[in-house]
Amino acid sequence: MAMKQTFELRVNGRIHRVEAAPDRRLLEVLREDLGLGSVREGCGIGMCGACTVLLDGRPVSSCLLLISQVHHQEIVTVEGLGGHGTLHPVQQAFIEHFAFQCAYCTPGFILSAVALLEREPDPDEQVLLEYLSGNLCRCGSYLNILKAVRAAAQGRKPPSS
Amino acid sequence: MAVGRSVPVRDAEARVRGTIPYLADLRLPGMLVAKIVRSPFPHARIRHLDPRPAMGIPGVVAVLTAHDFDRPGAPRLFYGVDRKDQPIVARDRVRYMGEPVAAIAAETPEAAEEAARAIEVEYEEQPAVFDPVEAMQPGAPLVHEDCPNNIFLHTRLRHGDLEAGFAAADLIVEETYTTPPASHAALEPHGVIAWWEGGHLTLWSTTQAPFVIQETLAEIFGLPRESVRVIVPPLGGGYGGKGYVRLEPIAAALAWKVHGRPVRLILDRFEEFVTLTRHTACIHIRTGVRRDGTLTARQVEVYWGAGAYADITPRLLRSAGLVRVVGPYRIPAVHVDAYGVYTHLPPAGPFRGTMSFEGAWAYESHMDTIAHRLGMDPLELRRKNILRPGDRFCTGEVIDEAFFLECLEAAAQRLGWGQPYEKGEGTRRRGRGLAIMMKSTLPRSRSECRLILRADGMLELHTGTVEMGQGAHTALAQIAAAEMGLPLERIEVIGPDTARVPYDATTSASRSTSMMGAAVQKAAARLKEEIRQRATPLLEANPDEIIIQAGRAWLQGRPEIGLPWEEILRRHGLEALEAHGVFETQGGLDPETGQGIASPHWHQGAGACEIEVDTETGKIRILRYCAAAYAGQVVNPALAELQNQGNVVFGLGQAMMEQIVFDQGQPANANLSDYPIPSLRDLPNELISLLLESPEGSIHGLGEMTLPPVAPAIANALFDAIGVRIRDLPITPEKVWRALHGDEADL
Repeated sequence: MAMKQTFELRVNGRIHRVEAAPDRRLLEVLREDLGLGSVREGCGIGMCGACTVLLDGRPVSSCLLLISQVHHQEIVTVEGLGGHGTLHPVQQAFIEHFAFQCAYCTPGFILSAVALLEREPDPDEQVLLEYLSGNLCRCGSYLNILKAVRAAAQGRKPPSS
Repeated sequence: MAVGRSVPVRDAEARVRGTIPYLADLRLPGMLVAKIVRSPFPHARIRHLDPRPAMGIPGVVAVLTAHDFDRPGAPRLFYGVDRKDQPIVARDRVRYMGEPVAAIAAETPEAAEEAARAIEVEYEEQPAVFDPVEAMQPGAPLVHEDCPNNIFLHTRLRHGDLEAGFAAADLIVEETYTTPPASHAALEPHGVIAWWEGGHLTLWSTTQAPFVIQETLAEIFGLPRESVRVIVPPLGGGYGGKGYVRLEPIAAALAWKVHGRPVRLILDRFEEFVTLTRHTACIHIRTGVRRDGTLTARQVEVYWGAGAYADITPRLLRSAGLVRVVGPYRIPAVHVDAYGVYTHLPPAGPFRGTMSFEGAWAYESHMDTIAHRLGMDPLELRRKNILRPGDRFCTGEVIDEAFFLECLEAAAQRLGWGQPYEKGEGTRRRGRGLAIMMKSTLPRSRSECRLILRADGMLELHTGTVEMGQGAHTALAQIAAAEMGLPLERIEVIGPDTARVPYDATTSASRSTSMMGAAVQKAAARLKEEIRQRATPLLEANPDEIIIQAGRAWLQGRPEIGLPWEEILRRHGLEALEAHGVFETQGGLDPETGQGIASPHWHQGAGACEIEVDTETGKIRILRYCAAAYAGQVVNPALAELQNQGNVVFGLGQAMMEQIVFDQGQPANANLSDYPIPSLRDLPNELISLLLESPEGSIHGLGEMTLPPVAPAIANALFDAIGVRIRDLPITPEKVWRALHGDEADL
């Protein structure tokens, strides 16, 4: 096992100093060391998207990243969206459109959608599918997920005059 | 009314915030990490197993092997809900690749991993067999020495005079269909935390069957049931894969060995693939039909490859494995022979749409072959033979709630069946297909619930139903709210926890909303009586003049004379008032003839689709898919719709993508890259969900109904498009291409 080192992570706007071996997976650091339960292991090989986090605004699979690769970088998990008593519009849209069943995949989908809407405020269907197809939902709630993300995109548009 | 409304699931906010506690989120003081050492061979003798090198590794607390069992005070090695054929860890022989041979409890995952590598096992490989039909042949390697031909069960259904039926036919069509093993692939893996202390065992488990676990573990450890407590957190998907007994015995045995500290076992994705699969099925189906399309006889032989251990398969074969392979048709003579067969593959078990999926794949593809041979429209052939209300099924039971034709016609009509459409040209061809299925739910099963009205006015609903994303807790709360006339906010759902909630058979077979829902209704009626009794002296009236509704008791016609329920409890000095509800289904089939009652009601679902196939690549695109299910009385329309959509998406994976490829017993694609499951890109261009409601009907489950028709509907559309009949799932581009260009092109 590699020797432990100190890493500085910026997670959900707060700075955390973490003692860990440099080859410790980001997924484990977030789950085990920082107690962020929304980051979930599904496949362990970056295929399912259940462990998605935003790394400097980009959705990435935290099971494929080592802590030494994210030193000083900005990380956002679903715990960092919304606030006390308020939900992010994408979270709200997921509830309104029944966009989940077991919800194991939901935080990953929400983060991918948030990243998508930051980059493409008015995505067409192709962009939508492209951005979200890296997340898997075994319960098969896809149609409602699409509805929710479209609705969240609509909600971001300035009201037409 | 709380029933019939699309309310969000109860913990929706926690689900989008990522804070709902799945098993992997639970933390207990002093919790150890477990790791299983698994067999690398599908069949081998264990010549030597030495756990000692593992024991010296720092951080290792316990190593479990077969030597720990079957001694005074020790747990039993063998278990099984039907045949006790499965060892908790292998003793002298391994029967599938991935079978546990030892297990480790350690302070850290790293120590557990290191210990697992340190254990020395010497194997002597043995010949193995993987296909159920090959396993039945004389001379095939035996999986269990006491089971000749590897057949552990043969069940039969006998209805009518088969010979006369075939003699009356103008045409006899005979085909063979197969389905491969598949992975449930719930994104949340199986997990257990087991804690043994002072003769009591507590388990937190990702199970769909907490009371089955309780019973099995009590037996393994020789404990009274009350000494085993099973708690189930919300599941990250189940689909049958978390039904019955999985990791609980090995985790509990480790905890017993450790004593006093909780032990956590969570599988990785590879282990998921070798823990439980769908059955490997081979179905011979032979049908007699008159020139006018009237079915006269059907004979089905089905070989259910169950893997190395029988698990739940014998129970399934006594009913589901017979009646789910016939089809919803009026046929004067039906014989079914179902064989449960051991192979050297991981155990097989319930899988969303269990046995209906395999059955419908065969009988609905077969119906189109018959239609083609007769030159008849496939819908017309089905219409002519389909079960209608009052008809007798091949079990002898009369089917009252029969909406098979309505489902089929709803899907067909929505697709535009019978109307001209663009058939495509060149390398892009289009075709249409449809399918229907009939699925039993569990006879002879029981659901109980307890309703507790608290003095603060809240109503507790205690239930053993597992919430795994299907929304059952929300639907049950809606039913309770509707019966009691309370707002949903006043219902609190508690369970599953065997120490707190009354018995429930399992959360499976789409039974919960229907059966647990009925138990809730019964408990509510009793609770109202309890309230009425307490209100009677306070209101100084006859009990039958008192209305109990919406949180109050009042005099009929005099609503101003009444009391809130809280006040009634307070005046009697009661902290709570409770009532118990039990719903039980009867029935069961005669073991020799398969005659009797197979199901308290029947699940009914249909699909119709239009596809486009690229003849150069074999790739199929689904342009439009219409899925229709009989829904009876709908409790929550949005959640019902979601189940229906989920069925189709799940079914598409089963139909076109999913197969665990075993190469000489070694899984060759046991990861979510080589074993793809449907993503957003695999959806039909258009997916239409149709729920046939009947407000006077009973509450029906909806978690499976439209799944089994997906594969045959697509296969039938493919035949319609290019004249190729695929009989072995999944329908991959490679198979389509080979059928077009290879040896099988003349089909």
